[in-house]
Amino acid sequence: MITIKFIQPDGSEKLVSAMNGRSLMEAAQGAGVVGIVAECGGSAACATCHVVLPQEVFDRLGAPEEHEEDMLDFADAPRQTCSRLSCQVRVTPDMDGIIVRVPTA
Amino acid sequence: MESTIPRNEIPAIIDVSFEDLMRDPYPIYKRAQALGPVVRIEAANLLLVTRFEDIVAIERDPATFSSDNPESNVVKLFGPNLMRKDGEAHQRERKAIEPTVRPGTATRCWGPALEGIVDEVISAFERDGEADLFDALAAPISGRALAAIVGFEDVSWQTIAAWSQGMMDGAGNYSGDPKLTARALEVSREIEEAVDRNCPRLLDAPDESLLSSMLQSGLSTKEIYGNTKVAVGGGYNEPRDAILSLIYGLLLNPDQKEKVLANPALWQPAFEEAVRWISPIGMYPRLLTRDVDLGGHILPKGTQIGLSVAAANHEEPRFEAPQEYNAFRSKTPHLAFGSGPHFCAGTWVARIMVTKVVAPQVFARLANLRLKNPDLVTVRGWVFRGPTSLPVVWDV
Repeated sequence: MITIKFIQPDGSEKLVSAMNGRSLMEAAQGAGVVGIVAECGGSAACATCHVVLPQEVFDRLGAPEEHEEDMLDFADAPRQTCSRLSCQVRVTPDMDGIIVRVPTA
Repeated sequence: MESTIPRNEIPAIIDVSFEDLMRDPYPIYKRAQALGPVVRIEAANLLLVTRFEDIVAIERDPATFSSDNPESNVVKLFGPNLMRKDGEAHQRERKAIEPTVRPGTATRCWGPALEGIVDEVISAFERDGEADLFDALAAPISGRALAAIVGFEDVSWQTIAAWSQGMMDGAGNYSGDPKLTARALEVSREIEEAVDRNCPRLLDAPDESLLSSMLQSGLSTKEIYGNTKVAVGGGYNEPRDAILSLIYGLLLNPDQKEKVLANPALWQPAFEEAVRWISPIGMYPRLLTRDVDLGGHILPKGTQIGLSVAAANHEEPRFEAPQEYNAFRSKTPHLAFGSGPHFCAGTWVARIMVTKVVAPQVFARLANLRLKNPDLVTVRGWVFRGPTSLPVVWDV
């Protein structure tokens, strides 16, 4: 199992077990992480699963697709350097132990 | 009517008429929510799911609750389309239209295009001092905006409105009235002809339009026909009704209106509240691909259920005093744009056009806008619901 820590804007934390190959959004939603609403169920259409990744993870993933890029500009919380839509991020074993920030409470 | 229910017998509401649903479905939804997770509404001959969390859970499981129903009137009359597909087939066509409906495209491209349309539409009646905003404002703006976004250079808003009506009548024609079927097939042909007329231009000079995006992504002619019909069926009524509900909600609540007019950032929550309050699409169907236990009721494979997002958007205590328009209620997600893979593709276009262009311009141009008489406003429908008449006056 891959364990990922989600941190809220108020500093509260949640450890989430994520499955290899599923999306980061699914892992967060399965654990009831606040701020990961994911209205569109992973279609990159609603911008309600915004997360901020650690720089090295963000860099490793490569650039988001054009559609996600566009959508991130319209997420509720302002976009940051390492912002992604968590539905577009696939969980891999090398993510074990990373810290992901949720910018919208 | 709602007496003790034997185990596994689905509760039913049998004492309301179709007209009751059309006039005001919300008291009926409230009863249904109290009765159980799935309730038979006899007047509509439909099993309705009305609770918020149930609908969200269903939409997270498209393999069980399919959008694909080859027997539906929509597919039979208008052909296959992305709204009635699941999985990869759906994703492929959805991706094809993304460049047109992205929030960035709406901001950069459709917002400015709409500025001119709204100016022309308002200029035509602004000296009159009174109007019914359904006919004078919302219908022409919504129809002209849709024609531009689809890429129909030569289609009037009146034609869009007539097509939309013909499609809705055909889709809802459960009694099989041959006249309605014939009209729906005629509309279907007319839309295909309009696609055929406009595509050569867009092949030569691609732009941001829906037709152009579908052509660029290599969808087949049949796929382009089907999805263009969905855009006409789902891209005209809904923004029209959302515009009217937003204006109506604010005119009913002058204190809220003043606050919104003083801070343009508040147009966004005001719009979300309008579509929660009167959801333009109140209900849509799903088909069971296997036997399913819904709260103790075993529904067999092949059962069609209706998801009532209108009911979910009035669920208490999630929404306090849900029948009231309140742009300042605490931020709670609603289901007016659906949820899951079929989350409304036009959401961002609607949001940006209404909150950045239409609503601000209406209140800026029509001074001291107010309802002519609150009793004259009519709101109707349940599958599709919105103000059907919004008579207003303003200072000239």
